[in-house]
Amino acid sequence: MRAEELKGHLDAVLLAALEGGPRHGYAVIEALRQSTGGRLDLPTGTIYPALRRLEQAGLIAGTWSVVGGRRRREYRLTPAGVQALSGRRAAWRDFSAVVTAALQDKVCPSPSPA
Amino acid sequence: MPESEPGLIRGYLEVLAGQLPGPIVEELSDGLTETHRSYLARGLSPDAAAEAAVAEFGSAEEILAGFARVNPARRAARRLLGLGPVVGGCWVAALATSRAWPGPTPARVVLGLLLVSCIGLLAVAALRRRYRVAFYSGIAGCVGFAALDASLIVGVLVVAGVASWVTAVAVAVSSARIAFCARVAVVSQQNT
Repeated sequence: MRAEELKGHLDAVLLAALEGGPRHGYAVIEALRQSTGGRLDLPTGTIYPALRRLEQAGLIAGTWSVVGGRRRREYRLTPAGVQALSGRRAAWRDFSAVVTAALQDKVCPSPSPA
Repeated sequence: MPESEPGLIRGYLEVLAGQLPGPIVEELSDGLTETHRSYLARGLSPDAAAEAAVAEFGSAEEILAGFARVNPARRAARRLLGLGPVVGGCWVAALATSRAWPGPTPARVVLGLLLVSCIGLLAVAALRRRYRVAFYSGIAGCVGFAALDASLIVGVLVVAGVASWVTAVAVAVSSARIAFCARVAVVSQQNT
């Protein structure tokens, strides 16, 4: 799945990737790859602006640490982020159920002979 | 990124460092290093791993455009420009009804010039895609608007001693704008 197909759902996906605990940007990408069996194909660099946006919205909080001599920024969900993720999940289930029902294969009755 | 890392990665980070604040570049550098290492672990040569890491990261233009969109100063500038006519309208109504234009003519000219400068700075912040230019213009515009609002409040309430409900509304919206500008400065500081 390409990034453009994920448009509108990236925030929820990122929040879900942080649900298991604090992660830095690359670890978020790895978590998404693992959880989707490698089917999510996002340019890694585009994750970082999205993480900043979520941080500005108060849904995640970032802290700096030093790992192997490099500064690393890790993000964790805030209480508002946990709540937002719960809301997004519920909305997605509703949306998914509606679209699945609409796209379901239907057996069309063959026209009866005149 | 250590000195021993391939030039391709160094060059890529230099392009980003030319436009983005240091802490953001440090974060990207950490992510790129991890990406590079993951390809090295899969058996690629350092140069091939660097090419794969940069390709996976996306183009520098794509990343710069992404950060330009989430620049807190840029977003604040757009909001302030959008709400400016509302605040301005409140003050015009307050000053016209009370007939208490604050201060002597030179002070009014200074306030007018400050207003025009702030609008110009915020327009630059709202329209320019270069992160640093938009960031510093936006912060300067916010500080300018906060100073303008504080001057108007002090001028009308303390110097002219005007108290009416129209003035109270103007003071309230200006106070809200000062609080918004202060919050933008704090958030911007945290995000750089």
